Parts: sequence; structure tokens; C-alpha cells
Amino acid sequence: MLAVRPGVPQPEDTVQFRVSMEMTKLDIRNYLERIYNVPVAAVRTRIQYGANNKRNHRNQRVKKPDYKVAYVQLGQGQTFQFPNLFPEKEQDAETRSFDDFRDKYMEKEKQKQEGDPRRGGVPDWFGL
Amino acid sequence: PVQVSSHFPARPVCAAANSNTSLKSASASWTALNLYHKNLPNIETLHQMKFLGLEEFFDDPGNWGEKSVKSGDSWNIKQLRGKSSEDLHKLWYVLLKEKNMLLTLEQESKRQRKPMPSPERLEKVETSMKNIDLVVREREIALRLLQTGHEKPVPGEWRHDFLGRTFWYSYKEWPIPWHLNKKHKKKRFYYLPHVNHFIRLRLEKALRKRARQQNMERTRRKILEKKFPDIAVKSQSQ
Repeated sequence: MLAVRPGVPQPEDTVQFRVSMEMTKLDIRNYLERIYNVPVAAVRTRIQYGANNKRNHRNQRVKKPDYKVAYVQLGQGQTFQFPNLFPEKEQDAETRSFDDFRDKYMEKEKQKQEGDPRRGGVPDWFGL
Repeated sequence: PVQVSSHFPARPVCAAANSNTSLKSASASWTALNLYHKNLPNIETLHQMKFLGLEEFFDDPGNWGEKSVKSGDSWNIKQLRGKSSEDLHKLWYVLLKEKNMLLTLEQESKRQRKPMPSPERLEKVETSMKNIDLVVREREIALRLLQTGHEKPVPGEWRHDFLGRTFWYSYKEWPIPWHLNKKHKKKRFYYLPHVNHFIRLRLEKALRKRARQQNMERTRRKILEKKFPDIAVKSQSQ
């Protein structure tokens, strides 16, 4: 079972999960109540069909796996908002220095590409 | 605050759900957060108890956005054999919650198109769970042997299939005897003499594969011994 960010905005008390295909609504309710101590008011499930349209290098169809989605409504008036698991963090000195190094290198490469500044940046193809 | 118990011998410190902390102290809360070897103040445990258990689907908020998260090695079978069944039961659920957390993180990283921090944790958790399963199976077999004298829960026997392969056939419960079961009689648990040629070919293939594997291992070891001569010395002394 994993919690997923809903693709379509859901009501505040609804949490979206991807569960095993063999799990029933009752199973999901018991699982969450006993293992995670989460009060569950209602569970609705559906099976998402994984498309079979993509083709590999041998022109064989590649199937994306099917999975079951569960929409769980929390009890006792609790709400849930899917958190941002990749917030911007301060880069440490190592990454900052690497970024500086990379920027300087790119600048040097660009300067090499440009033409002679004494001739107004015109490429050497023109003129003598 | 949870500390490494003195019961266990000194091992590399494992973090998160793979920690060696005493599982007996974790009776109050099975939350993976509490089994971190970092010192957590007691107030936080109460705070967690009041809040949603859905927080356990996500890692410690301090780890969000990190490039990599440190984690210890997976549980070895030898380490697990020393634990009581109650401890194994608790550890199983701790590992299950950790696995759910890692799977949510994996899916979210795919969604945000960012790399998942330290994906090797999933592998470690899966191997740990597999090892727990093996240990529990061993204990079941031992108990069954002592109580009934049988190794397997269901009786069975070795049989041949129509291709000459040997397999373990376990008896199933049927409402009618096998000689009245039309569909079962169509199955052939014997092979005809013309199959012997193919059995021989299969055997030759297996032998060739085994010889190839052994040769590859030998050449790899020779290359390593050339690069690192001290390894060769060790193997000779043993």
C-alpha cells in the first residue's frame, strides 16, 4: 500500500492510496485501522487499467501494470494534505562550488564560440 | 529516548527500521520514527500518538529534499535467528511500514520527476522481510517435526512429468478418487522411452552451464588476486 498525490483535487478528508489488486474495502479499512491507527469512515476502490499501447525496440507491445486505487475518507473530522516531499533545500558548499565551476566553464566555452571582439564579434569566415 | 540495547553485540549502527534497538521498548508505538537511533525527546512521542498515523507513510520531515538518506545494512538471517518470535512479529510490521513509506517516496519522486533519495533502502527492506519469512518457516518446520514427525504440512512425493523432469507433487483434497477423475487421468506422471534422449541433452546443457560458471569464477578470482595480491595470501593460509 502506498499513499499517492491525487491527480484530481480531492476533498480534504480523502486520502488516495494504491493497493494490491487482491485487497478489498474491508481489508483496507482493517489494515489502516490496526496497523496505522487511522480512523476510517469510508473506502471506495477502483481498478486502474494500465495501457498496452507502447512498443519496445522489437515492436512488441509493452504493458503498464494494472493497479487498484483506494479513496479513503478519514473519520473524526480529520483532514489530510499530501505534503511536498521535495522542498528546496540550501545547497552545501560542495554543490555550490561545483555549480560555480560549471558556470565558469560554460562561460569560457561560450567565449570561444564567439568571434574576435576587436572585429565586433563577427565570425572569422568573413573577411581576410 | 531509544538507545542501542546492551543485549546485542557491537554491530555497525543501523538506522531507521533496520536498527538494533531493543524491540521490547517499542511496545508502546510501532512507528518507524521512534526506532531511529537519534535521540528523540519524549514530548514528540506523545505528539505523534495524538496525530494522524498517516505521517508514517512519509519519512522524517527533516529528510525531505535530501539527496541521500543514511541507512544501515539489511537484517541477516543469523541475526534474526537469535530473536524471539514476538520480536520478529514486531520487526515484520516495522519493516512493512518502512516499505510502504519507501514506495510512497518512490511514486512521488516519479511524479515530481526527481531522483529518489537512496533507493537501495527498498532492496534492504525486502531482503530483511524475506529473511524473517525464512526464519519463521524454519521454526515452523522444526516444531512440526517435533510434534508430528513430518517436515511438510501437506504430504507429497517425487514424480516425473511427461518430459522426464522430476518435481514434488503435493497431494490435494478431492471429493472423488483419482481413478474416477477424467481430467486428472489425462495428466501423465510417466515418460516414454523416446524422452531419454532429451533428458540427456538437458543434463548436458546443465553440466555445461555449471562448468562455465565455475570457470568464470576461477578466472575472476585470478584477476582479483593479480590486482590485490594480499587476497591470494589469505586464501592460502586458510
